[in-house]
Amino acid sequence: MKEKKSPSVSGIVIITGALVGFLGALLVKLGNPGNMGICVACFLRDIAGSLGLHRTAPVQYIRPEIVGLVLGAFITALYTGEFRAQGGSSPLIRFLLGGLVMIGALVFLGCPVRMVLRLGGGDLNALLAVAGFVGGIYVGILFLKNGFTLGRATNLSKVNGWILPLIMLGVLLLLIARPAFIFLSTEGPGSRHAPIVVSLLAGLIIGTLAQRSRFCFAGGIRDLILIRNPHLFNGFIAVLVAVTIFNIIFGQFQIGFSAQPVAHNNHLWNFMGMLLVGLGATLLGGCPLRQLILTGEGNTDSAMVVVGMVAGAGFAHNFKLASTPQGPSVNSEVAVIIGIITCIVIGMLSRQE
Amino acid sequence: MIDRWIVTFYSTHFALKAEKVLKEKNLEVSLIPVPRSLSSNCGISLSFDGKDYELVGRLLAENGVEVEKIHKPLD
Repeated sequence: MKEKKSPSVSGIVIITGALVGFLGALLVKLGNPGNMGICVACFLRDIAGSLGLHRTAPVQYIRPEIVGLVLGAFITALYTGEFRAQGGSSPLIRFLLGGLVMIGALVFLGCPVRMVLRLGGGDLNALLAVAGFVGGIYVGILFLKNGFTLGRATNLSKVNGWILPLIMLGVLLLLIARPAFIFLSTEGPGSRHAPIVVSLLAGLIIGTLAQRSRFCFAGGIRDLILIRNPHLFNGFIAVLVAVTIFNIIFGQFQIGFSAQPVAHNNHLWNFMGMLLVGLGATLLGGCPLRQLILTGEGNTDSAMVVVGMVAGAGFAHNFKLASTPQGPSVNSEVAVIIGIITCIVIGMLSRQE
Repeated sequence: MIDRWIVTFYSTHFALKAEKVLKEKNLEVSLIPVPRSLSSNCGISLSFDGKDYELVGRLLAENGVEVEKIHKPLD
């Protein structure tokens, strides 16, 4: 990319956001499902399906964007000397919260990235999701103020940090080799994808820039509420502006609540699903995208969150917790309530004075 | 320009606690996102005036605030 390092601190955050918005619109143009240029939750779910961890046939594909995000951050962190294998900060809580965040995202049908991409495609259902996400972050901040912490990470041997990036590389090789045990959708969202090389490159570019800028959706809103600092939040706005502009240019902008791609208009559960995501992400210290980037930097605590998200996606489809375009099921609603209660209990009990 | 030093923490909770402890003693501190040059961590750090260096270190230790590192300007 043309900009390597911006002298202005917020500059690189805005550039990253604008590129996420542009690539988000471009990937849809090149074949990804509607308003799903990038979605960390949907794409980890597709990968889980492709590996046979759930058997919902329309959502099984190895998304190269995810591989690119982790490897982009990994290569960049190695290059800049910021790769540090760390971990051991409440791993099982992180695994659990990762799973719950995934369930919340799949009830809304999108992670925070796709929430903004949906908004920029004219999908007004995402407004309810934004409200829920901010509400969840607000509740998470109350726990932070009351002493919530997952404890500190310790330095680990380097090999720990290499594991998940290398697994990602292996997963990409499975997509290329296509052995018989891999599931690939022949219809539905999983069958719609941009060319592999483009998807991978988009992931690598965003992974690199996100590592440099520390781009984070949950962190942006957290800093805005907690310390009134808009630095990371600028990235959020940049994504929205860029994706809206490019969706209009590509003829993909369609404003309204109904007939939106891979979406439903149950306002209450769009709100509640993202409330769970916002709360879980704040307790975890970062949104799903940020967890992938930190995984690339060698953080095994974030890698636990990613593994938890993959497991959560398996349960979400096996137990019919994920919403469909017809809306959430009773199972979805029960799961979100259990998820929110679980986060609150963890938030109250995992404290240090 | 005043001499702004930065404290980084292992968790957001300790950043908030540090701010509370130091503000109670009327020290001039503020919470800011961790400067990119210090860390790729996306958390919150605390900035303070370098003349208070010894007092800040002592107050944080006395109140059990776990500190990752105290950074000098341009460190």
